[in-house]
Amino acid sequence: MTQAYTILLDSLRMLRASKLFWVSLWISAVVAVAYASIGFNDKGMTVMFGLWDFEIEIMRKGTAESQAFYTLIFTDVIVRFWLGWASLVLALISTCSIFPQFLQTGSVELAISKPVTRARLFLLKYIGGLLFVAVQTLLFTIVCFIALGVRCNEWNLSVFWAVPVVTFSFSLIYCIGVFVGVWSRSTIFALFASLLFWLMTLIVQWVDDFTYKMGYTIPEMGVNIDMRTGQVSEGTEDAGAGFRGFHEKIQPIVAIMPKTRETILSLKRLIVFEERDSMLAGVDLGSVFAGGEMDPNAKYAMKKYDLRYSWFSIVGTSLIFELVVLGGAMLLFSRRDY
Amino acid sequence: MNCSVSSASATGAVTLNLFSDMSHLAVDIEFLRKRYSNGVEALAGVALQVPRGSIFGLIGPNGAGKSTMVKSLLTILRPTECRGTMLGEPIGKKSTLAKVGYLPEHATFPEYLTGRQVIEYSAGLAHISRRACKDRVDRLLDQVGMSEAASRTMRTYSKGMKQRIGLAQALVNDPEVVFLDEPTDGVDPEGRIDFKRMISALREEGRTVFVNSHLLAEVEQIADRVAILSKGKIVKQGLVSDLTRREARYELRVQGTLPAELMIWCSERGISIQGNVLSLTAESAIAVQPLIDKLRSSLVVINELKEDRFSLEELFLQTVMEQRQHPNALAAR
Repeated sequence: MTQAYTILLDSLRMLRASKLFWVSLWISAVVAVAYASIGFNDKGMTVMFGLWDFEIEIMRKGTAESQAFYTLIFTDVIVRFWLGWASLVLALISTCSIFPQFLQTGSVELAISKPVTRARLFLLKYIGGLLFVAVQTLLFTIVCFIALGVRCNEWNLSVFWAVPVVTFSFSLIYCIGVFVGVWSRSTIFALFASLLFWLMTLIVQWVDDFTYKMGYTIPEMGVNIDMRTGQVSEGTEDAGAGFRGFHEKIQPIVAIMPKTRETILSLKRLIVFEERDSMLAGVDLGSVFAGGEMDPNAKYAMKKYDLRYSWFSIVGTSLIFELVVLGGAMLLFSRRDY
Repeated sequence: MNCSVSSASATGAVTLNLFSDMSHLAVDIEFLRKRYSNGVEALAGVALQVPRGSIFGLIGPNGAGKSTMVKSLLTILRPTECRGTMLGEPIGKKSTLAKVGYLPEHATFPEYLTGRQVIEYSAGLAHISRRACKDRVDRLLDQVGMSEAASRTMRTYSKGMKQRIGLAQALVNDPEVVFLDEPTDGVDPEGRIDFKRMISALREEGRTVFVNSHLLAEVEQIADRVAILSKGKIVKQGLVSDLTRREARYELRVQGTLPAELMIWCSERGISIQGNVLSLTAESAIAVQPLIDKLRSSLVVINELKEDRFSLEELFLQTVMEQRQHPNALAAR
């Protein structure tokens, strides 16, 4: 326990000493305050604590729509783009140097010469790196939790699912950085390798997502798209067979890849808000801005799309991937001469 | 009981039978070999014994394998073949390291930590409870003369200050054996004197100190025993006093010129003559007596007789040169 406490305490001290940690924390604070600044009054929505007014009738204070809209901003914008993207990039830049720095001559010897196994040392250092994201996300989520409570009277503890989920999503990319960092002892190499790998997994996930939507969701919504002319029509004609075939073909690749995007999107399943009798119930923010109410078929197809992967497909396969990569990195770390 | 006799085994390993009672040994390496994956043999079968409570100096030229040997004992690198014990346990056993301290060469400490935090970090890794840690850290900071600067971060320290903190962190677990790899590297002269004092104090406390250094004069001043490592082999080892006493150079300055008969007599016995100075190398002054008798019988006046003992540096240079000329001669004399 003393060893674990010591290494984790050192990780926190290292974070505190990192300028990027504070930069990231400040940006997080700005995003959180910007979110908290959105409010509602008798005319509609206000931004920056009432500095700007937007007259939108359905967004008046106290309406179910305003509350649903506020929660949608959290789940569809903040979680997806800030926590799922920007903060993770900053975290990756900050943490990719942990192992290469630790493996510097004259530094690693000090730790290895102590009565601590290399495996334990490796894992504790790894967890220390994850603290960067966990601490940032926790502080950010606390502000959002308070904002949701004050604005919507929704004191919803399920928003704190963001902490483990975002940290897990980050760990799927970070493990690549750790593997390459241990192998090459180069921060730059570790960072580029992890960013490149992240991009690759995203491309796979986007292709998977696109082919699923074209092959299954759009036909189920009763919409046909002529791929040659781009013409959209309603009907029962099935134009998605080709996409379905391609979607099936890429499943073996999808299965072994870590699902960073899907993991972040799964937060929508975990963060459960009170069902309101709102026009916005069951829709996403994109549909809100597209205008119009979704028909039941479309809502059903979208719901099916959101739930198309089981928890094992998202978390289980990603975890297996992470364990394999971490196992490789740990083996390298443990067997190397320093 | 010590004895300085050794012999070379058929495998190339130097085997030594220095101590009859093994419990008196802090480190007992029967055979240690390290061959890297690129084929470089850093240690070519080393045998070494370090008695408890002594200061042991391992000296050798750069690349001789000094750091490799220490790292092999501390599990920092994995030896190709290793037989031996440290503090009575097989070498490589992690739990033994709880009783071992280490200051690596070119030690790098996290710059965001203060001197105190570096020692606390080391204590934590060594399983020292936080309660026990506080008093111990204060005492060590005082011992290495860093109490006043303890709250400053490492980035503000000079090289000498970093080494002092390095020594303190190596002692935080109250170790029985302390390995110091080039401890005074980059330290100013005043700091070196302090280091020598601190290392000697460790011996007084009953600890075994294993010092790797290329600063031979320092090792000679503080070490009880030394071993010379060259090209991965121990080429000489023993008590410092024995090794430096083994041979001496005697110089006799005489008055006037030597008779031709006496010059022939001298050259036949390997005594060199340069002007009016005659010199010879011998284990003791007894070897000089026949020359003195001869000079006196030839009525030559002796103005001065001088004895020059080998310093560790001269011994080192001579040993390394011999090893370069005869690389296969392994016997550790």
